Amino acid sequence: MSTPRTYSTARLILKGVIIAVLATAAGIWSARLVLQRPAVEDELSATRFPVARDVQPFELVDHNNAVFDNAALQQRWSFVFFGYTYCPDVCPTTLSVLNSIAQRLQDVDEDIRFVMVTVDPQRDTPERLAEFVTYFNGDFLGVTGSDEGLQQLTRQLGILYQRVEQEPGSGNYLMDHTAAVFLFDPDGRYHAVFSPPLSAEKIAIDFRKMLQDTQ
Amino acid sequence: MNSNNRQPAALLSLILLTFLATAMAGPAVVVEGQWIREAPPTSTVLAAYMVLKNTSDTPLAITRIDSPDFGNSQIHRTVVEDGIAKMLPVEKLQLSARGSETLEPGGLHLMLFDPLRALRDGDTVILVVHDDTGDSVTVQTPVLRNTEETGHAHHHH
Ligand SMILES: [Cu+2]
Repeated sequence: MSTPRTYSTARLILKGVIIAVLATAAGIWSARLVLQRPAVEDELSATRFPVARDVQPFELVDHNNAVFDNAALQQRWSFVFFGYTYCPDVCPTTLSVLNSIAQRLQDVDEDIRFVMVTVDPQRDTPERLAEFVTYFNGDFLGVTGSDEGLQQLTRQLGILYQRVEQEPGSGNYLMDHTAAVFLFDPDGRYHAVFSPPLSAEKIAIDFRKMLQDTQ
Repeated sequence: MNSNNRQPAALLSLILLTFLATAMAGPAVVVEGQWIREAPPTSTVLAAYMVLKNTSDTPLAITRIDSPDFGNSQIHRTVVEDGIAKMLPVEKLQLSARGSETLEPGGLHLMLFDPLRALRDGDTVILVVHDDTGDSVTVQTPVLRNTEETGHAHHHH
């Protein structure tokens, strides 16, 4: 009687030791996961500045022929993309992403605006821009202006664009342009930048976090 | 006499059969999932997307894709270099033996310049894909409104 009992006691102890070892291992493992997780969650896909940057004076015109300047960036969040309407691949794709961000942020109690500033003011009139941007979302705003007005804004943001000629006589040209999306806060300051590849899901998540941090 | 008469006929049939077999084998290129992204009404530049497959055991190249509905067309590759989006012309799109290339938003695409008629969601356009063996494939291509952020078309049912 006693032998089986001792045996089973030994087995119980052994089991206990094994469980303890496994539990410790699992504990270390899960602790590592827990320790790793906040670092991953904290990481924004956006580049955010420790202190939002002031925007130097610029003056452009929106697709309703209203002045679009520093004051237009005030009192609302603005997602701003630089593109052109004679762009059938990158620009429609980006405007579709912006529309998806708009849908995802519908519940946010903030005034959020989505703007496309053209890097091709020669061809992109306010009327043309109006048709292009509102095709993707009726609330989107197109912005154009003089070359000088455009440079006032793009230079300070580090935005580059360049005209690329097509075959002579075709009249067609393409524009190389910075593909990032810029975020301005309701104080009209340059808050963050989202670099390609652009994901509506990530940008919406980042925006909610940045909103929390500013409140 | 009889057999002499039959020989040219046999030779002719053989040539005919060979010709028919070649013709029936058709071009090595197969086009799948083709669509043109609908653009706002005044747009004069559109993009087409598709998968191009080489069904043969020899590599080939797509030399051009044109359309009777557009004034001009060019195969492009969108690249983002140092944060700057550029569209680079692709003179020849190489397809390895049994290989394929995918034209999709933000990457390879067919630029279509100067539409000769207004094109709306639901319309159909003819595209002709030419390869460097001299063959060409003609495909009906739907114009679709792009609804998803990923750039894929909304397909009608
Ligand atoms: Cu292109």
